[in-house]
Amino acid sequence: MERQEIIAGLVEILKTVRTIDQSRLDNVTEETDFIKDLKTPSTEMINIAAKAEQKFDVEFDDDDIDDLGSKVKDIVDLIIKSKEA
Amino acid sequence: MAGDRRVAIVGMGGSFPGGNYLDQFRQKLFAGESLIRDWDEAKAHGKNIRSQICGFITEAEMDIEAIYSTISPNYPETFIDHLGRIPDANLSTADVGSIWAMLGTQEAIKQAGWSKEETESEQTGVVMGSGSAGHSILRNAWHNFFELKQKTRLAGSHTVDRTMVYREAANVACFIKNKGVVEAIGSACATGLGNVGYAYRLIKFGIQDRIVAGGVEPTSLETFIGFDAMQVLSKGFSAGESSRPFDEDRNGFVCSFGCGIVALEEYESAKARGAKILAVIDDYYNNSDGDGNMFFPSFDGQKRLWKGLFGDKPFKADVVKVHGTSTPVGDAVELLSVVDIMGEEGYHISAPKSQFGHTLGAAGAVELISAVMMLEEQKVLPCLNSVNLDTELADYQQEQDWTGPKKSLAAYRHLISPDVISKEINTIVCLNYGFGGTNSAMTISRDI
Repeated sequence: MERQEIIAGLVEILKTVRTIDQSRLDNVTEETDFIKDLKTPSTEMINIAAKAEQKFDVEFDDDDIDDLGSKVKDIVDLIIKSKEA
Repeated sequence: MAGDRRVAIVGMGGSFPGGNYLDQFRQKLFAGESLIRDWDEAKAHGKNIRSQICGFITEAEMDIEAIYSTISPNYPETFIDHLGRIPDANLSTADVGSIWAMLGTQEAIKQAGWSKEETESEQTGVVMGSGSAGHSILRNAWHNFFELKQKTRLAGSHTVDRTMVYREAANVACFIKNKGVVEAIGSACATGLGNVGYAYRLIKFGIQDRIVAGGVEPTSLETFIGFDAMQVLSKGFSAGESSRPFDEDRNGFVCSFGCGIVALEEYESAKARGAKILAVIDDYYNNSDGDGNMFFPSFDGQKRLWKGLFGDKPFKADVVKVHGTSTPVGDAVELLSVVDIMGEEGYHISAPKSQFGHTLGAAGAVELISAVMMLEEQKVLPCLNSVNLDTELADYQQEQDWTGPKKSLAAYRHLISPDVISKEINTIVCLNYGFGGTNSAMTISRDI
């Protein structure tokens, strides 16, 4: 699965999270920071991770979620790593 | 001096049984209507549920809509407010009851006319609670974990804030950004009046100047089935005839849902800024039966309640707004205790549950609002369906140690009207009781 395809899928997830400013979703890149750039409440990160597991048919390790960074590339990396596991 | 401050009710709001906002609620109450309806959500469970009528409120009736999770079926992940009254961030931490509490608070503060600075002050508090948990949220989280064996994170990160005991107070505080007290009082079906009573004391004793206070009971099948299982809900009547306090054919209460919020303010400051005083709270008192009985009402406990409320002052009221649930035992004990204290003449009894059922943790606050409306309208709300009162004495009235009235309930027919009555109303006593033997009473008066 291409990284850009994963990012597009993540944006689809973010569109379902109403506490994120939807106007900021037009230019999401690997360097976009969920918390700094999208103003995502930190409590929503676990919801995004859980939705990513379902959308990409993967299961994250709890330790990996604990260590997850707040940039888009961090979750893209985790999805790819989990796909390969 | 501490403890001498008077307290005014300067605003009201809420979500009311039958899916009504405050103005609709007032209009229908004084038109003598019943707000109880057949409940499809209960009917869907067929014979597994004994009672199928309810004073419920749908999401659409409060102009909100659940957004269901894409990963957890039937889980209302958050809500949309179609009228744009509450920001998305606040909606994401709220169950339906907390949303009702925020809407009611917004309405009450608007009517009170508090400025942003006053609302956000250290002297402004939030005191409100409910009788049960955030069942509709917990339902999903527990089902996923225990039955479907899923990871906890599938329930999302808002199970705690949307279900904790003081979730309504917490959500309202985050919504209005006050800096004073934020707490919830829990006392079963006396919760609504208990919260307003506690808030009254905080202002009376100078701890806060303003408080939004009240009670909430969100529409929940879990709450409903708990009482249904106890066989204490009304059965065998059409929806509008099912809640019948004091009627000889009463056989249980109607489980209803709602939210009542009042804005309280120290009387002198409210007067000084020209606020409209809807009512003055004269006194509040609460106690425990002390007889070790979880469910059965106590004649002695209720008499002590009245004595605590009035102290050395004469027992006087134009209307007694009773708890009056429509249960065989509760109504009789309550009417006899009221008559024992107040006598047989000179006042009326109002049992608003006859119109909208028992809103449980919201009851004390919703019914306090109905009492304030009686002061405003100078009308006594009816006791619907009180067609024939008991003509037989209760068993306990025939025992040797009974010290109360020795007449049957039918002797007090003249105190209970099935129709709206117009009369001068200056003072109303509000009564509510709860499981565990908790009793609450409040006196409110017109500001004249």
